[in-house]
Amino acid sequence: MTQEVKTRPLNRLQSMYALRAEVDKMYQAGGEAEAEGKPVAWVMLEGWANAILNAMDIITVFPENYSSLCAAQKLAGPFLERSETEGYPTHLCGYARACVGYSARMVELNGQIPPEAPAGGMPRPNLLVASAEVCDARFKWFQSLGRYFDAPVWTLESPSPHARENLIPGTYERNTQFLINEIKQFVTFLEKVTGKKMEWDKLGFTGDGTNKINQLRWEINQLRKARPGPMHTRDFWSVMSAALYRGAADPTVIVDGHQKMYDEVKYRVDHSIAAINRPEKYRLSFEGLAPWHSLSFLDSLADRGWNFVCESSYSPGRPFQVDLSGVTDPVERYVRKRYRSLASVIDQEFGPEEASQVKEEIMREGSSNRLRTRHIREYQCDGVVLHVLLSCRSASSGLTLFADQLLDMYKVPSLIIEGDIIDTSLFNPVESLKKAEAFEDTMDHYRKVRKDLGMQW
Amino acid sequence: MSAATKKGLAHVQELYLDRTQRIRELKTEGKKVIGYLCIYPVTEMMTALDLIPYRVLGDMHESITKADTYLPTVVCPFLRSCLDLGLKGKYDFLDGMVTTHICDVGSSLSGIWRYTVKTPFHYNIDTPHTTHDTSLNQIKGVLKAFQTAMETFAGKKITEANLISAIKKHNEQRALVRELYQLKKPDPPLISGAETLKTIKAIQSLPVDEGNTLLREVISEIKIRVNKPVKKNARLLIWGSIIDDIPMIEMIESLDANVVMDDTCVGSRAFFNDVAITPDPIDGLAQHYLIDIKCPRTFRTRDFYAVKKNYMDDLTSRFSYLLDYARDWKANGVILQSVRYCDTHGYEVPQLRDYFKAMDVPSIYLEHDYTVGALAPMKTRVQGFLEIIS
Repeated sequence: MTQEVKTRPLNRLQSMYALRAEVDKMYQAGGEAEAEGKPVAWVMLEGWANAILNAMDIITVFPENYSSLCAAQKLAGPFLERSETEGYPTHLCGYARACVGYSARMVELNGQIPPEAPAGGMPRPNLLVASAEVCDARFKWFQSLGRYFDAPVWTLESPSPHARENLIPGTYERNTQFLINEIKQFVTFLEKVTGKKMEWDKLGFTGDGTNKINQLRWEINQLRKARPGPMHTRDFWSVMSAALYRGAADPTVIVDGHQKMYDEVKYRVDHSIAAINRPEKYRLSFEGLAPWHSLSFLDSLADRGWNFVCESSYSPGRPFQVDLSGVTDPVERYVRKRYRSLASVIDQEFGPEEASQVKEEIMREGSSNRLRTRHIREYQCDGVVLHVLLSCRSASSGLTLFADQLLDMYKVPSLIIEGDIIDTSLFNPVESLKKAEAFEDTMDHYRKVRKDLGMQW
Repeated sequence: MSAATKKGLAHVQELYLDRTQRIRELKTEGKKVIGYLCIYPVTEMMTALDLIPYRVLGDMHESITKADTYLPTVVCPFLRSCLDLGLKGKYDFLDGMVTTHICDVGSSLSGIWRYTVKTPFHYNIDTPHTTHDTSLNQIKGVLKAFQTAMETFAGKKITEANLISAIKKHNEQRALVRELYQLKKPDPPLISGAETLKTIKAIQSLPVDEGNTLLREVISEIKIRVNKPVKKNARLLIWGSIIDDIPMIEMIESLDANVVMDDTCVGSRAFFNDVAITPDPIDGLAQHYLIDIKCPRTFRTRDFYAVKKNYMDDLTSRFSYLLDYARDWKANGVILQSVRYCDTHGYEVPQLRDYFKAMDVPSIYLEHDYTVGALAPMKTRVQGFLEIIS
């Protein structure tokens, strides 16, 4: 009698491991910087700030990523409990609460890194760079860290117009100028904090590095449309930290790592190699933020033939070219290379006729189902997992409407799973798996509905 | 003219029982009504165009049955209630809806409202998040774009004279509300916390001129009435997220306490600073709506260019106005309250508690879920707090 040796459900990308290791180096660099007396900034994701800070030789670490790292290693619990005893409501962002707990511990230890902190911990910050992008927690959280550190806080502004207002003529140019002026103010602040002048050539280097990384990330994601899906969401999450939280790492190293990943994914596409070691029964998108404490839950789903081929968060935008021949101001060049109008995004994502329909839809309805759900069509998903988080309003508040739009538009059903990014006690894997099993019938049903309607998948 | 025959507090009570009473009359006269969420939409521009601003509020007495289809339960129940009422057709009389980025959920709600409730005109003002110089400059452009959109909707232009006139009317309302709050300074206060809330709610359901008339009537009535609140041991300041109905205030005032001052957004928050009349009226409006209104949705600090942060200096720059309130209104305790899932207020709580502790002012934090049923356990906690401060 032969004994069947079952392979692991996921077929992880080998190129992922080297990129993932860069994140550990980021924390290591933070520790070394502190020992060498170099300024350390705690920063919200890559955004606009990291390249600027790096250009000024300020070492950057990312508490948001660090909290997810603590959760992935199941070490966030004590930090969460500590934040509760510090008086923070338990519904606040899990990243923030873990960071508050960490900060309180650090103060208790006279500024030393708590010995229980994984990956060497985060060094004490000299500067906090908050962000107005994406969610309110990104600035409220750092503001509240004034309880623990005397580091100054800068909240880097960012416009966030709704789709309809975004299409009104004049909005893009006004917002571009806003970003340019805000970044100039930010640089003035940094020059005051560090006592040194900005080296603009360096900004060109670090900024262009970010753009190259994003371009490769986008190209890899394009490859992921293949059947079977060659790269799983777990691999995407594992490497996105190297791109979004690369800290002061040499961008060319990160670019090289992504090039290797592109090559590996391309090889898989050319040879029809899947991201899961099971037949791809269902293609899915993961909507919302990751359950960092329970990533293996996705392995259980992969075991059932669920291949997560795309995800809504942290995805890079399509690269674009812009004529900057007449632009000499380094900040303006930096902004115009990365900030683009919604109209041009729509023009690039859709053909001329459909782009026009999308814009009309936005002017009429305020938003466009087609724009919001296009990745489901492009990746030909059979279903969507909506991760509703107790501690993140920003990532959760639009999910139920999205489910409604998706079913209406493409007859693709959604499975709502409640949980959290950090707090493992808010997630029930057994119950979630049962819901997932039952959801397969729903996906089967709608697959038939789509077929009857003559849809592409 | 209004068909309402009652005046002063009786009229306030009428409007409390039916907020839409006057608005529906005005609709039959052909007036257009613009709903607005929170206190950041620029109501002066609506008034300048002869549109009637109408504050969109929730209803804590009504179960949320429709909104769950579009908003998960892990978000602000007040905003879920607003959407629920919209989906049930209770804001069908609105000709327009104006929102701003008041918070993450408020921003999402704006899009969901636009998509599901389909009020004919809808605009979201992208209010910046800081008080940086660049942000102040940005909001001027944002408000000019909003003005253009409102003018297109109304089919006419806002003249400088009309806008200044509207600003003056709204400033008059702010001054009258401040005068009303002066009546809360005596011990016992001449007006209760619940009556104050009802009055603010009433004026946010009326055109500004009629609201001003009502405020004058209320102030005159209160000054001479015999039946006024009784003296109690505790005089409280209430801070926090929205309270748009009276049960919580009534619960507190049913105990040995008078609510003498508040910093909430159906309370003093919108009224304690005037809009400056500037050569370009947009400048004054920008200053008011970005800088002067003190809501936790905006990041503010004493000196953006400071290279070191002193925690107490930071708290003082952000919260000293609350200490002024406590001193001026002789409050001997502070209730910090927030509706559950309100992140912007939630982050503020530990810092406020630090501040009041340093200032030797007792405080307590209450979190509630925007239901009347949640008040019973809160009552016990408030009772305990009152015993401590007494």
